[in-house]
Amino acid sequence: MDEEKYYEFVDLYKNPDHKGKLKDFDFKTEEYSSSCGDVFTVYLKLENGKIKDATFEGNGCIISTISISKTCGDIIGKTPKEIQKMGLGEVKKIVGVDEISLSRIKCATIGLDTIKKALRNDSSE
Amino acid sequence: MVSFDVQRIREDFPILKSKVNGYPLVFLDNGATSQKPRQVIDGIKYFYENINANPMRSIHHLAEKATEAYVEAREKAAKFINASPEEIVFVKNTTEAINLVSFALPFKHGERVATTYLEHHSNILPWLKLKENGLNVDFVDIDENFDLDIDYYKEMPAETKLVTVAHESNVTGTVNDVKKICSLAHSSDTLCLVDAAQSAPHIKIDVKDMGADFLAFSGHKMLGPLGIGVLYINKNVAPKLRTFMTGGEMIKSVKINKVEYADMPSFFEAGTQNVEGAYGLGLAIDYLNNIGLNNIESYEKGLMAHLYQASKTINGIDVYSGRSKKNGAIFAFNSKTLHPHDIAYLLDKKGIAIRSGFHCAQPFIEDKLHLEGAARASMYFYNTKEEMDSFVNGLKEIQVEYG
Repeated sequence: MDEEKYYEFVDLYKNPDHKGKLKDFDFKTEEYSSSCGDVFTVYLKLENGKIKDATFEGNGCIISTISISKTCGDIIGKTPKEIQKMGLGEVKKIVGVDEISLSRIKCATIGLDTIKKALRNDSSE
Repeated sequence: MVSFDVQRIREDFPILKSKVNGYPLVFLDNGATSQKPRQVIDGIKYFYENINANPMRSIHHLAEKATEAYVEAREKAAKFINASPEEIVFVKNTTEAINLVSFALPFKHGERVATTYLEHHSNILPWLKLKENGLNVDFVDIDENFDLDIDYYKEMPAETKLVTVAHESNVTGTVNDVKKICSLAHSSDTLCLVDAAQSAPHIKIDVKDMGADFLAFSGHKMLGPLGIGVLYINKNVAPKLRTFMTGGEMIKSVKINKVEYADMPSFFEAGTQNVEGAYGLGLAIDYLNNIGLNNIESYEKGLMAHLYQASKTINGIDVYSGRSKKNGAIFAFNSKTLHPHDIAYLLDKKGIAIRSGFHCAQPFIEDKLHLEGAARASMYFYNTKEEMDSFVNGLKEIQVEYG
């Protein structure tokens, strides 16, 4: 990811979409990034087998925040099964970058990982 | 060395000539690991081309040379901290050293270890793990300037068997009065372990004067290769310890019914050791001795004074280091608007390498600084005032553009 892209993200970083707590949700989970100390919580609402709404709480770096915010938007309308199939490739498309350095992959995928974990937790219960 | 010629010193470090993202490298992540001088890099090559064999075992010519090299490295490490060679155990790093003590010291159910809030995870987790066996772990508190509550050591619970403390914090650079802590610990018959990972590269250590029973440091943070570290164990304490790892070369006699273990330090060095690493560490110690730890300490003091003065002109940052009674060459800070990872990323784009995150000190950063992470620039004697200016200017630009 280049510096220009970073710069482009700064405003969105300060005021990201989908941030906040859902009053009415079906799934909620927390995930940690051990190297940087970020903690995110996601809230998911399902309707007719598809994600109706998705939000997140927590603070992280620009990459993790933009990624979780945009991923919350992207998954609305998708089924849990479709979401479980998503990976780094999809995250890159959602965020709009071609390359993410090795040390920042966790930042980029923490949003999707948390969402997947939330959906898994429920189905296993 | 009469005068401290930093440009001349930098000539010894090939990596410092690198360019990163089109800028000259400014390496300010020395708290994580230091760069290596030619003398160490070439020395390791020399070792494999001229000395390599398994020491302490075979009796052929090369084995003899390898044994000599290993013994000599131990003598250098001992002299470096004013210990005897039999008090020096070679380990992988500080983490292994502290783990070794946690396994080797026989704790009874209900006994206590006093660690502190300033510690790296490596001086917290080995003790927390022993809670499973009934050990109690106490955390000595710090004040608003990150100085330890020394009074704690004056009236410790009677069951406290070990006091364990960092000589220098890897987050704030706070240098603790470990001599006083060791003396207070001893006055209540408590042992004292000093984590010198951050201090040994910068401050002259004399374990006899300090009074530590155990002292640990890593070679790679003081110009040596990765994977070699030192655990000092006071010779009066060693007989009370149990084995850590068992295997080759740490025995006198092995019969199926009776095993007799070797004396210190072989007692704790099971299996073929990192001889190359020990040899390289010996060369790193030679290099440091040649410059002089006192010269290093005073040069870095000047560097930090310059940095703190210059940093006053940066808007929108909080600084966490430099406010304790004694401080090392660490500058810990945060931007009021940007995440530490973003600061580190944007500085890297200007060729400036710093660390960001928890620094393996989550209890301190969360419970005491009330943060989710911090950025850290950590200096060494090959850094220059010009580099301090580049770092400050880089931060200023980032704060203006992104803040």
